[in-house]
Amino acid sequence: MTTLITGAGGYLGRRIAAALHDEDVILAMRGADKRERPGAQEVIPIDLCEENPFAELDPRRITRIIHAAAVIRFDVDRDTARRVNVAGTARVREFAERCERLERFVLLSTLYSAGRRQGDVREVRHDDAGFVNHYEWSKWAAEECVLEPPGLPVTVVRLPTVISEDDGTVGQYNAFHHTIRLYYSGLLTLLPGDPATPLSLATAGFTVDAVTALLDAEPGIYQACSGPVSLGTAVDTAFSVFERDADFMRRMLPRPVPCDQASFHDMVSAARALRGGPLQPALASVAPFAEQLYLSKSFRTERLRAAWPGYRTADPVALVESVCAHLVERRFNAAR
Amino acid sequence: MDGLYAGSFAYALGAHKRHVRESAGAGLLRSAPEDLESAGFRWHHLCGPDETAYDLARAAVAEIAERGELGHIDAIVYATCLPAEWPHANGPIRDVKDLMDFPAGRLQAEFGLSRAIVVGLHQQACTGMLGALRLAGALLSTEPQWRRVLCVTADRFPAGAFYEQAYNLISDGAAACVVGRDRAPCRLLTVHQISNGGLARAGDDETVGTYFAYTHRLVREAAARVGTAPSALDWVVTQNTHEKAWQILARLLEIDHDRVWSPSLPDAGHVISADVIVNLSALLASGKLQSGQRVALVMAGFGLNWQAAVLEVAQP
Ligand SMILES: NC(=O)c1ccc[n+]([C@@H]2O[C@H](COP(=O)([O-])OP(=O)(O)OC[C@H]3O[C@@H](n4cnc5c(N)ncnc54)[C@H](OP(=O)(O)O)[C@@H]3O)[C@@H](O)[C@H]2O)c1
Repeated sequence: MTTLITGAGGYLGRRIAAALHDEDVILAMRGADKRERPGAQEVIPIDLCEENPFAELDPRRITRIIHAAAVIRFDVDRDTARRVNVAGTARVREFAERCERLERFVLLSTLYSAGRRQGDVREVRHDDAGFVNHYEWSKWAAEECVLEPPGLPVTVVRLPTVISEDDGTVGQYNAFHHTIRLYYSGLLTLLPGDPATPLSLATAGFTVDAVTALLDAEPGIYQACSGPVSLGTAVDTAFSVFERDADFMRRMLPRPVPCDQASFHDMVSAARALRGGPLQPALASVAPFAEQLYLSKSFRTERLRAAWPGYRTADPVALVESVCAHLVERRFNAAR
Repeated sequence: MDGLYAGSFAYALGAHKRHVRESAGAGLLRSAPEDLESAGFRWHHLCGPDETAYDLARAAVAEIAERGELGHIDAIVYATCLPAEWPHANGPIRDVKDLMDFPAGRLQAEFGLSRAIVVGLHQQACTGMLGALRLAGALLSTEPQWRRVLCVTADRFPAGAFYEQAYNLISDGAAACVVGRDRAPCRLLTVHQISNGGLARAGDDETVGTYFAYTHRLVREAAARVGTAPSALDWVVTQNTHEKAWQILARLLEIDHDRVWSPSLPDAGHVISADVIVNLSALLASGKLQSGQRVALVMAGFGLNWQAAVLEVAQP
């Protein structure tokens, strides 16, 4: 059993590789240097934008592929998203088709491949419901690329937004953390989104456990959610943490006012003229996903729970609280 | 503030009118001129080298005097953001009297307002004029013999300063009005203020960032003080700021944006604490007002301070 992991140098790729430490694993990394991994795991340099990235790899060795490589910025431009996340996935698929002993081809996707659809989101293939950013679109297109034409033993794991390690420390900053920082610093006092919109937040541990548990499950589509929290509750929880901080209290910053989508859009477009200061780039980082906060979704997890006996929900409010406490304690300084 | 009126509105702007591109060329701006233009700014007014903030204040008050509306003033409340027009001494200051400036006293003497006492207000930045209205109302409430309080605001940026604050194009200017017991165009119903000294050192971006939540709260609370909701206000007269700001706030407060009034934005920019009076004067002159309508004047300023006055049209 040999597992190839793409994006193995990334945040989740590294953790999945560590979870499979006693297995035969090949780590595909962009710009990899074999000296980087002195351990047992083999490292190969792979750039998915190259014509034939797996030319050096013998497909007969590979029994499992975990495709984690992607550009994950919500503000990624369409062409980059297409080149890396869609065409790159197509190259992984081409390679997978040559792996005659292949037992599983796992694509790490996102819950937001659902795009603009609202309401119940089931663990099925999605049609194109429109997308709020090119990242979402490209992850949906990557799903389509591995699922169609059928024939490969494909597992699509739609992941939640990972906001921390299991101990509440933050290993990777993303839109969640950037937004929380804007509120803490007083740069944003409007709340884009409907406070009732559920958010699916999770720890890296939960996410990696889900992926590794599903390696042995039936192929198919799974949504890895550990229990939603509403946007309003998440923000209130963040402020209850901020309000324990003397620096924050000295600045007496207000809780944000929920605003409609047109108003948030107006603010972001007006902020384009506020060049030079921190507000414009900060808002630009929030804007590409803000529209999702108006699109309430409830992710179904029946297939996940049936396939993963160890599935457990976590208290999402406690998770937000511990992450915010960590962020405040570190004054939002970079990830570990 | 029962039985109090506000009227005799007047203003004066710096003598030199400049286009934003011209000022950008002269190095007076931080933002690119096209960014300020996209916010709605075009022109602003700067004092000449010999023109002072006091000159602007005097010009505004002179207009009231010329209309014959400066009689029987019991107090002068003088609001300014930059309280002292310090002489540019070359050495250390030996006599601190050189640091003192008494523009309200000078107005009193110059206009022969001999019975008036003087009060200065300089902790409210761009909201100072509304603070002056509030203080005038409070003084008239505690001094039953008094009839009229002159409120004045004036600011002029020193030579070499950027004419831009928190992404707003600035004009030098002054405004004045009288709060009193005699019937005037507007009844003064209330003035509401929020201060957050924790943000006294806020930078431009924090000032912009906190603007929305605080202004939203300010207008709701000010409306509640007169027993109404923001959506029931007939007019909202604002300071001159990014034109999108009130498109956003109007939606959040459920106020029809057509009733948000700041017509001097392209012509005057932000005149520290005077632009709300410039805009109110335009509304009074527009013929759009009807008796009984409620007009909110809304301002935000460094400090950070937010103030709103609610007026009722008495004689349009
Ligand atoms: N983290 C989350 O919260 C989350 C949520 C939902 C879904 N996901 C999905 O989970 C997967 C892993 O995410 P992550 O958080 O681990 O992201 P990450 O830390 O950014 O890792 C992605 C990896 O992909 C690599 N990569 C990018 N472009 C490449 C290319 N052209 N060729 C080869 N490798 C390339 C990156 O290499 P460089 O470092 O050289 O750029 C990086 O190591 C992604 O597919 C993502 O869409 C993650």
